[in-house]
Amino acid sequence: MSILALYSNKGGVGKTAAAVNLSYIATRSGLKTIICDLDPQGAATYYFRVKPKLKQGAKGFVRGGQKLYRSIKGTDFDNLDLLPADFSLRNLDIAFDALKHSRRRLAKILAPLAAEYDLVVLDCPVSVGLLAENILAAVDKALVPMIPTTLSVRTYAQLLSLCRKKDYDTSRLHAFFSMVDRRKKMHRDIIAAVSKKYKGVLQSFIPYLAEIEKMGLYRAPVAAVSPRSEGARAYDNLWRRLQASPGFKLS
Amino acid sequence: MPSDQHYSIPDPDAARAFIDGLVERFTVLEETSVFKKQRYYDTLDWRLYNKSLVLSACGNRLVLRKLKKNKPIHCMQISTMPVFARDFPAGEFQNHLAPIIKIRALVAIAALEVCSVPYRILNSDKKTVARLVYQRFQLIGGTHEPILHAYWCLKPVKGYTKTARKLSRRIQNAGFAAADAEALYINTLMSVNKTPGAYHTKIALQFDPEMRADEAVRALLHFLQQVMRYNETYIEMDLDTECLHDFRVAVRRTRSALGQIKEVIPPRVLARFKKDFAYIGKSTNALRDLDVYLLKEDEYRSMLPAALQEDIVPLFDYLKKRRTGALKQVIRTLKTKKYNSIMRDWNDFLQQPATDAADLSNAGRPIFELAREIITKKHTRIIKIGRRILVDRQDEKLHVLRIHCKKLRYLLEFFASLFPPRKVKALISQLKKLQDNLGDYHDLCVQRAYLITLIEEGTFSRQASPKTLAAIGSLIGTLEKKTLHVKNAFENAFGDFASPSAQALFQEVVQ
Repeated sequence: MSILALYSNKGGVGKTAAAVNLSYIATRSGLKTIICDLDPQGAATYYFRVKPKLKQGAKGFVRGGQKLYRSIKGTDFDNLDLLPADFSLRNLDIAFDALKHSRRRLAKILAPLAAEYDLVVLDCPVSVGLLAENILAAVDKALVPMIPTTLSVRTYAQLLSLCRKKDYDTSRLHAFFSMVDRRKKMHRDIIAAVSKKYKGVLQSFIPYLAEIEKMGLYRAPVAAVSPRSEGARAYDNLWRRLQASPGFKLS
Repeated sequence: MPSDQHYSIPDPDAARAFIDGLVERFTVLEETSVFKKQRYYDTLDWRLYNKSLVLSACGNRLVLRKLKKNKPIHCMQISTMPVFARDFPAGEFQNHLAPIIKIRALVAIAALEVCSVPYRILNSDKKTVARLVYQRFQLIGGTHEPILHAYWCLKPVKGYTKTARKLSRRIQNAGFAAADAEALYINTLMSVNKTPGAYHTKIALQFDPEMRADEAVRALLHFLQQVMRYNETYIEMDLDTECLHDFRVAVRRTRSALGQIKEVIPPRVLARFKKDFAYIGKSTNALRDLDVYLLKEDEYRSMLPAALQEDIVPLFDYLKKRRTGALKQVIRTLKTKKYNSIMRDWNDFLQQPATDAADLSNAGRPIFELAREIITKKHTRIIKIGRRILVDRQDEKLHVLRIHCKKLRYLLEFFASLFPPRKVKALISQLKKLQDNLGDYHDLCVQRAYLITLIEEGTFSRQASPKTLAAIGSLIGTLEKKTLHVKNAFENAFGDFASPSAQALFQEVVQ
C-alpha cells in the first residue's frame, strides 16, 4: 500500500480537486483506492455526495481500528472508497497532542488499510502544526499544488524549510503547478524559475478551467464526467508524472 | 463488506414488473446495457473441476474461483486466451494452475452470451447506495437460443448496508429465490451435453466379487472403448499430446486384458481383435514417439553445455515437421473404413449379452477368483524374471520384465475394487517404483537409438550444421551416461519390490 497526500500550507490551491481526480484515475488503472478526507470542511466528501460524518468524530479517528473503518463509504465508482470528513476533525491537532508518539499517530491509524487497499489518498487541510508533521511522517509521496504566484512559491519555500528542520525526507515532496493560466506572463516566468530552482517539481500543469470549478455542480471527478476534457487530461498527465517519479511504488 | 447476492428470475416479465415497483419507492437509474461473452475453460479430463475450481473469461477478464464461491482467487486481463500453463504470465495465477493442469491444454467447454442491465439505487443526494444488475445468460448461437438463466445481482455499496438489506427483502418478497451458486455453470454444461468430471482414465468400475468373469471383462473393455472414442475427435483437433496418450493407453489396456484374461472371450473374436488393436496401437506409435521427444525439448537443452544449447533447435524444428506428417497419418487412420469397422464391431460384441459358452472355462467363474489367480501368476513370473536378471545380467531381459510389470499394473488397476483399497494402493505404489526404473531405462535406450539412427539415415544430418551434429553427439553421450546410472539402480529397485515385506503385502492383498 502507498500513501499519497495532497498537501499545502496554503489554502485554495486545488488540493481537493487533485485528490478527487487522482483517486479516480488511480482506480481506473486498477488500484483499489481509498480517499481520506482529513479536511473538516469536507469538500472531497461533498464531491462524492457522502454525508460528512465519522462514527465518534475526531476521537474515534485518532483511536483508529474497526470502529473507524465502519465509517468508510463506497463511492459511485468501483474500487474507490471514501473515509468521510467530520467537522470535529478541526481539533485533530489537539487530539494528536494528547497522545503518546503524537507525530506518528496518523501512520498507525492508516496502516491496517493495507489489507484492503493499494493506495490511500489523503486530502489534507491547511496545516503547519502537528497534523502536518503526522502527514509528512506517514506518506510515501506528498503532492503540493502550487499556483504560479509569488506568495505560493514563498509558501512552498517555507514548507521545504520546515521539512529540513524536522528532518523529513524532501525527496518525497513534489510540487506541481495548479490553476495555471498560460496567457499570463508571470505564470510562465514563475513556472520556469521554480522548475529550475527546486528539485522534484513535476512538469504537470493543471489549468485554471471552468470545468474543474464545475466539479461542485456535478459532484463527481472531472475525469468521470468528461474523460476527454482538458482538465481530465491534465490530471491524467499529473498521475503519469507521479508514477514516473523516483521511489513511487505503484508504477 | 457484504458480498454480491444472486437471486433467480424465473420469468423475464417478472423482472420488469419488479423494477416498475422499485421505482415507486427508490430513485432508480438505469444504465447502458452491456453485452459480453462468457466462456468456461477446463482441461478435457476436468482437472480444474476435480479440484473444485472454475475458470471463466468474461470479456477480457479471466477469473479463477472455487466452485460455489463467487470471490475470485485470481483474475487477470487477457487479450488472447492462454492455452497451456506456460502461456500464462509468470505469477500467482500461473503458479496455481501449472501443477494442476500440467501439460494439458485449456479448452472452452461452454460459451454464453451475457446481457447485463445495471441499475443504480440513489439516495436524496443522488448518491449510489446500492447496485442491482439484471443478468441474462444464453448459449451462444443466435437470439433463438432459450434463456438459460436470469439473475438479479444485488451489489451492496460499502457503508449503506441498510439499503442493501431493504432491497434484499424486497427481492425475496417479490418471489425471487436466492440462486444456487453453481446452477448456471452446471446447467450451461448440461445444455452442451457435458457432464463435469465425467471423463477420466482411471478405472473406477466397482466389481462384485461374485460377478461372472465374462460380464466383468465386457464392462471393463466397454469402459476402455469409451475412453478411445472420447479422445478420437480431440486427436484430430490436436489440442494437446495427452489425447493421443490417453487413447493409446486405452488401446494398450484393451490388448493387455485380451491377452491376459484367457478363456473368457470366444477364441475367434479374441484372435480378430487382438490383431485389430495391435494395428491401431502401431498406427499411432510414430506420433507418440515424436510427442515424447518434443515434450523433452527443455530437458534435452539442459543436458547440453551452454555453448551448444541453441544449436539443438534445428533438431526440434525437424521433429516438429515430422510430427505434422505423423499427425496427418494418424488422422487418416482414424477415418479409414478399417478403423471404423473395428470400433463398430467391437462395440457390437461388447453390447451382446455374455453367453455361457461351454468352451470358455473361465467365463462363468466369479471375477474375484479369476483376477486373484491371474495377478498371482503374473507376480510370481516377475519375481522369477527379476531374480534371473540379477544373476545373468542380461540387459535385453529388462525390456521383458518391463512389459510384465506393465501387465501386472494393468491387472491391479482393472480389478482394484476387488481388493482392500489401501493395500492395493500401496502395492501399486511399490510396483510403480520398479516400473519407473525400467521405464527410464527403456526410454533412454530408445531415445539414444533414435538419435543415432537420425544421424545415420542422412535425411536430417545432411542439412544439419556441424554444431547441431555436435550437440546431438553430446546428447547421445549424456543419454548413455544416464542409461548406465539407471541400469545400476535396477538392483535396488527390484530388491525393494521383491523384499520380504513387499511379498507379505502382496499376499495380504490377494489372500
